[in-house]
Amino acid sequence: MPLVEVRALTKEYSKGDQKITPLKDAHLDVERGDLVSLMGASGSGKSTLLNMIAGIDRPTTGNVVVDGTDITRMSRSKLAAWRAQHVGYIFQMHNLIPVLTAYENVEMPLLLLPLSSAERRKRIEIALDAVGLADRADHYPRQLSGGQEQRVGIARAIVADPAVVVGDEPTGDLDAESTEQILLLLQRLNKELGTTLIIVTHDPKTAAIARRRIRLEKGELVEAGAPILKRELQRA
Amino acid sequence: MPRFIRFLPYVLKSLWRHRARTALTVSGAAVALFVFCFVGSVQEGLAGLTRGQQAERTLVVFQANRFCPSTSRLPQDYGRTIAKLPGVADVVPIKVFMNNCRASLDLVVFHGLPQDKLRSARDLKLVAGDWGEFEKRQDGALVGRAVAQRRGLASGSKFTIGEVTVTVAGVFASSATEENYIYTHLDFLQRTRGLNSVGTVTQFDVKLAEGAEPQAVAKAIDEQFRGGPIVTDTRSKGVFQAKAVGDLVELIGFANYLGYACVGLVLALVATTTVMAVQDRVREHAVLQTLGFSCYRIFSLVMTESLIVSLVGGVLGIGLAIVVLSFSGMAVGTEGVNIAFTASVGLAGTGLAVSAAVGMLAGLVPAWQAARAEIVASLRHV
Repeated sequence: MPLVEVRALTKEYSKGDQKITPLKDAHLDVERGDLVSLMGASGSGKSTLLNMIAGIDRPTTGNVVVDGTDITRMSRSKLAAWRAQHVGYIFQMHNLIPVLTAYENVEMPLLLLPLSSAERRKRIEIALDAVGLADRADHYPRQLSGGQEQRVGIARAIVADPAVVVGDEPTGDLDAESTEQILLLLQRLNKELGTTLIIVTHDPKTAAIARRRIRLEKGELVEAGAPILKRELQRA
Repeated sequence: MPRFIRFLPYVLKSLWRHRARTALTVSGAAVALFVFCFVGSVQEGLAGLTRGQQAERTLVVFQANRFCPSTSRLPQDYGRTIAKLPGVADVVPIKVFMNNCRASLDLVVFHGLPQDKLRSARDLKLVAGDWGEFEKRQDGALVGRAVAQRRGLASGSKFTIGEVTVTVAGVFASSATEENYIYTHLDFLQRTRGLNSVGTVTQFDVKLAEGAEPQAVAKAIDEQFRGGPIVTDTRSKGVFQAKAVGDLVELIGFANYLGYACVGLVLALVATTTVMAVQDRVREHAVLQTLGFSCYRIFSLVMTESLIVSLVGGVLGIGLAIVVLSFSGMAVGTEGVNIAFTASVGLAGTGLAVSAAVGMLAGLVPAWQAARAEIVASLRHV
């Protein structure tokens, strides 16, 4: 059974008299331990899809099932609790909280879980160690480089051991060297820890680390430049 | 340990992020609560005049149609007649002398009582000096702690108001109202040059016997002297004091609006700061929601910030007001009656409750806005 099942997902909204459909009847399965990249031009609906998989946006129609749970029908509060346990989110702009140290930033998702202080500390140390920033735990975001900030963001995304980690342009705000480091890190997390990763990017180099590359065109999914997944499913 | 405590460091660091703004809001709230407590202390002082055993079970016999104590001159031998009336337990003749009959923030009131009556009629606890010295000295005076603080008086010092010069034999603690009086020997005040009042007193304090009806006794006293050379006007001490400060009551009532205005000011101030804090952190709150923070959690984080700002300001303002009120001995008086600015635990409690309520109220709208914001749109917020 796939870890993530996207079924007939459509998102529509109105802008004045105009009806905009960033995502139209999308179908997608992501297996556990997979590394998937979503590519597409601006406005193709890739971030919209990612946000709905992460449970921070709601579809107009269709379903998203993650780890056996249909998240599209959940109440706002239940969805928040679900996110805390099941999803890690890597932002393009890192989005660390400036008044908190790296340690405290990584701790934030854990504060929502029923963990003791010692358990939290252990998990944070492991996460910071995994991203190579154990020695920067007490540094504030302003004291870190862009690449280091993003590594803290990744540590924050994986610290609660979520079922799936999503990244919205995780290298979009980084220089070439930092991009290289982050891509290696993401690959390592996927291979060594078995983390399921879904990454939105418009950078072919970032997309290249993925085992599955999916393209969005005018709100519809196209895998590896060939068949529309929906047709594949229909055939199956 | 409640889970909410885990988020307290984040809340405190968020407040510290804009420390100048937070400090200004806290100081604004402190000033407002300081004024609120000051107004409240005058109210408490006024209430203190009209309630309690003394106010209800003691009658004051005054000359009819006289207001300022310096114009009331009752024959001292009226006391013997009053003492014989049914329902009367004790009669204390009092000569009152003061520096000003009009409203004043520094009204100094001397009460001359017979030496043997002072200890039994008043509940005075000496905090400096001794009774022996007072009894020994003809010009000895026991000074209330509030007057001593206001005038910088200590045991052994001399003190002059108009024609009256006394030597401070002791400083006493008592009720807030009492601490604004100076007690001397009755005959000393009567014989003071310029007062020329041997054989007359300003008023009688009549202590009622157990079960005696105050109004009935008051009526009996006034009936007794209706046809005499000096007609009396007898009321319970509470009513007498309330009437004496009647002109001030309206002013004090008006000052209440100042107190309410201060509460409104804190509300506006804390609400503005909280709204600004929320607007500054639209994206941050969206990030927290993405991490799994629920609407309720975001709501409570913002409410806590608002509450902390208001409460810290409140505690500072109330604390400062209590200190100032306790050590300044401030009072406003007229016609020989002082309204002491009374700092009490109840007033501090009310101030804290007001601070907390204002903090919660001020945080409601911004907290609601932060909690209900759409995550995706907020993440795009610059």
